[in-house]
Amino acid sequence: MSDFTAVLDSLTRQRGVRGSLVVSAEDGIPVDSNLQFGQDGNRVAALAASLYRKARKSAQAAGLGGTGFMQLEAETGRLCVIGGDEIILVVVAERTANVGLIRVELLRAAESLA
Amino acid sequence: MADDVRLWSDELARDPSSLVFLPLAETLRRQGQLDLARKVAVRGLERHPHNPDAHDQLARIQADRGDLQSAFDEWDMVLRLVPGHLGAVKGMAFVRFQQGRLDEAEQLLMQAQGHLDDSDINAAIDTVRRSSGVTTAVVAAGDLPSDPHLLFADILADDQTAILLDKDGLVLAGAYYSANGDDVAQDVGASLSGVSDEALRATKHLGIGPWRSILFETEAATVTLAPAPPQGSAAGGLIVVAAAPATPLGQLRPLLERIRSRANAWLDLSA
Repeated sequence: MSDFTAVLDSLTRQRGVRGSLVVSAEDGIPVDSNLQFGQDGNRVAALAASLYRKARKSAQAAGLGGTGFMQLEAETGRLCVIGGDEIILVVVAERTANVGLIRVELLRAAESLA
Repeated sequence: MADDVRLWSDELARDPSSLVFLPLAETLRRQGQLDLARKVAVRGLERHPHNPDAHDQLARIQADRGDLQSAFDEWDMVLRLVPGHLGAVKGMAFVRFQQGRLDEAEQLLMQAQGHLDDSDINAAIDTVRRSSGVTTAVVAAGDLPSDPHLLFADILADDQTAILLDKDGLVLAGAYYSANGDDVAQDVGASLSGVSDEALRATKHLGIGPWRSILFETEAATVTLAPAPPQGSAAGGLIVVAAAPATPLGQLRPLLERIRSRANAWLDLSA
């Protein structure tokens, strides 16, 4: 059991959430995960971290300040991310999942890890 | 906040005629739980059909859901109950503005201005007049703006900005102004280069179908990205729209659609 187990469990308990990961923000390597979709989380972690980095960079380029919640919406699912300087939290969810609740849980989880 | 929601829900279960449905629906709306918020507001209205705050609440929920006409109808009801209700007039003007019915939007705002000296109203009238002027010019020319930087200008409010990028992050149209007034479109484009490919790879890996949008919140704006129309130089590119952080997410979708359809028309014309 890692320091992140409780956080990941609380995220994955949300209805429609298929998995959650704690990822190193800089290199996209998963630190811990709770996945229910039977796939290797390495690639999800790397892609989510890369997308989040790009969002951050573009926000910096536009002088928009720090970046908070990010959501990628696809036809049948969502990828939700929130990050700090060192780690990011990633949630993979079904399209029908309540993104408002996931966002609130992610904000709470990010605060507890800060 | 979660505690409040629980408390209000419990109170409502105990006493279905309680007015706590108002803060409960508002909190759910702010949390983005729009369907649930709507359900709470509608049930509240069944008990309090003449409560203007309840109609106003439902109108804001409907606007966030993108159901602009229902929002308009609810605000219209507020006005019947409380003639001159400033929030309702602003809301109705906002709907007409979003629907491109700029004359009606201006008329509503002028009506409100007649009753109250509100700086927000004056600013809104300025925005409508500017948009109206640009739209008229575009229609009169029977064409889209010749300067690609102005392609989306008539669609956007003062606190919104939009660009169309190619797959390498190069700016094809639009402008992206920072708070200082500098056009930082090229910098934003460069930093977003490759996002479309990565989003495609991520969604493919997860088996969740093609990606539709990426939204991220920053301190100064909410930014939405969507795939550019798959035509010509825009294929594999991005549409980027930034709006004030207070903009309800439900309003960003219709805005993104309008930008996308304008980009489509422009690309068709340029082909």
